[in-house]
Amino acid sequence: MIDIDWRQVFSQIALYFGAALIALVCGFPLLWMVLTSVRPDRDILTATPKFWSFDYHWQHYVNLFDLTDFHIYFVNSITVAGSATLFTIFVATLAAYGITRFRFGGRNAIAAGMLFTYMFAPILIIVPFYILMRSAGLVNSKLGLVFAYTTFSLPFSMWLLRAFFQSIPLDLEEAAMTDGASRPKAVALVIVPLALPGVIAVSIFTFIVAWNDYLFARVLINDNELKTLPIGMDDLYNATVTDWGMMMAGGVVITIPALVFFILVQRYLIAGWGAGAVKG
Amino acid sequence: MAAVLPDQVLAVPVRRRALSTQPRRLPESTWGYLLILPAVLLVLGLILYPVVYSGWLSFHNKHAYLPIETFIGFSNFANMFGDGEFWRSIELGAIYGIGSVGLQIVVGVSAALLLNETFIGRTFIRGVALFPYMVPTVVVVILMKWILNDAYGVLPYILKTIGIGEDILWLDTTHVMLTVILISTWTFFPFVVIGTLARLQTIDPELYAAAKVDGAGVVRRFIHVTLPQLRNVLFVVILLRFMFMFTKFDVIWLLNGSSGVGYYTRTLPIYTYIKTFGQLQVGAGAAMSMFMFLMLVCFAMVYFRVFRRDEDI
Repeated sequence: MIDIDWRQVFSQIALYFGAALIALVCGFPLLWMVLTSVRPDRDILTATPKFWSFDYHWQHYVNLFDLTDFHIYFVNSITVAGSATLFTIFVATLAAYGITRFRFGGRNAIAAGMLFTYMFAPILIIVPFYILMRSAGLVNSKLGLVFAYTTFSLPFSMWLLRAFFQSIPLDLEEAAMTDGASRPKAVALVIVPLALPGVIAVSIFTFIVAWNDYLFARVLINDNELKTLPIGMDDLYNATVTDWGMMMAGGVVITIPALVFFILVQRYLIAGWGAGAVKG
Repeated sequence: MAAVLPDQVLAVPVRRRALSTQPRRLPESTWGYLLILPAVLLVLGLILYPVVYSGWLSFHNKHAYLPIETFIGFSNFANMFGDGEFWRSIELGAIYGIGSVGLQIVVGVSAALLLNETFIGRTFIRGVALFPYMVPTVVVVILMKWILNDAYGVLPYILKTIGIGEDILWLDTTHVMLTVILISTWTFFPFVVIGTLARLQTIDPELYAAAKVDGAGVVRRFIHVTLPQLRNVLFVVILLRFMFMFTKFDVIWLLNGSSGVGYYTRTLPIYTYIKTFGQLQVGAGAAMSMFMFLMLVCFAMVYFRVFRRDEDI
């Protein structure tokens, strides 16, 4: 006779049921977005939603790029997020290298103080930030946005890179310099490649901060030509009777870069989370 | 990954002898300051200075566009405290903050416990569970408006089919707060999962084995082994989540904007934004930001005093 441990069976069933529930709750809305984006309107606008249908097309994507200014917003978002990412990596690398490789008074206090600002939400400073940017002539300019995103990702980025740099033994760059490499060359060819996971994590973090931001863009940008995706999309949604198929197509296009980056660095991001927020 | 390296590596002293093979005129400390200068300037100029400037503005009557700027002492604060809408925004903010953080923690920790078990397809489900967190907020909100749409939405249809919550209009005045809490929970709970799961994976299995030998069941093992181990990570996660949710702007604003329904989700960040950029009263807006800032500082201090034990962190 086979002895069945019913408690074991029950807990296994509960486990798979829970896993399915997580997959459904997290995955279904996104699946629904993709499905809506490739269906003709007659399959979208029905009181009994269709879970299965066989008629698919790309028309909503074509309309999105042909009939709206979505492509402008897309290019703006790429430009701003890309510049902010490069700028952040440069500034954060300098700072993290300075902190880990040189001794100077107050370096740990400065690092801790910078990290403290990670808790500052944009809404807390948006009022003076706007006035400040206006007097600097950076309202309605992509440069103003790049500054905003760089500054807001710096504290976390610097902290993360610092942890990576600390784990790289000094001997390596000493060896490179003994072999005749200049210090900047040693950093670029020895240190940065070794800290690459950290650099990648920082890039993704900054890129996503810039890619997702709504508040700074809303406050700083007025010209349609300068809008980034979050505010452009919001305005498209509010402009006319909602074309749901096209809106979902836009949602898919905006989500893909974030998704791809996230999948690429998921490992590093979790590692960074461990190095940053938990152990500190 | 950096965190698992021994501390000895981190403490390697800077050896000047070997490093100074290159001719260098500047002393070491100057180099350090120079390298960190751009970062410090950016944070000082664009985060800390605005906070101070905000304090200055809060004592002034300043218009957003017109050149009006007069010192009015504590009038902005007096007006603020006398404004019923301000207190209402704090109340709504508390409902939103406590509701969404509470749900995120409950859902996030439950999901993390489940994802820590062994089952077929675990890696895949772990990936799917992080989905909501990486979808840009503007997409989350428009997608949810579509899913909850009262005429064509798929969720009302599903609920009607299984016979619960048939006639709920998710985006009307009575339900909109619940809806915005649920949407926020959906998109932010993976943050809790990431932190909790990372910690769960480092719990020594022998602790469970020992508890089992002592005859502890599933529930008691959770209460006496898992929870104490999660204490530190939850301490940080709850603090961060509360800070973030209490100052959350985009989800709420994108869902309702300045529409009539938006009045029922007008939390402090939303009201601050409306004061500043809608009513153009920069001074009054600055006073509200300062108040929000001080509230957060007080909250953090009380939180640390009450929940932090010295041996913990």
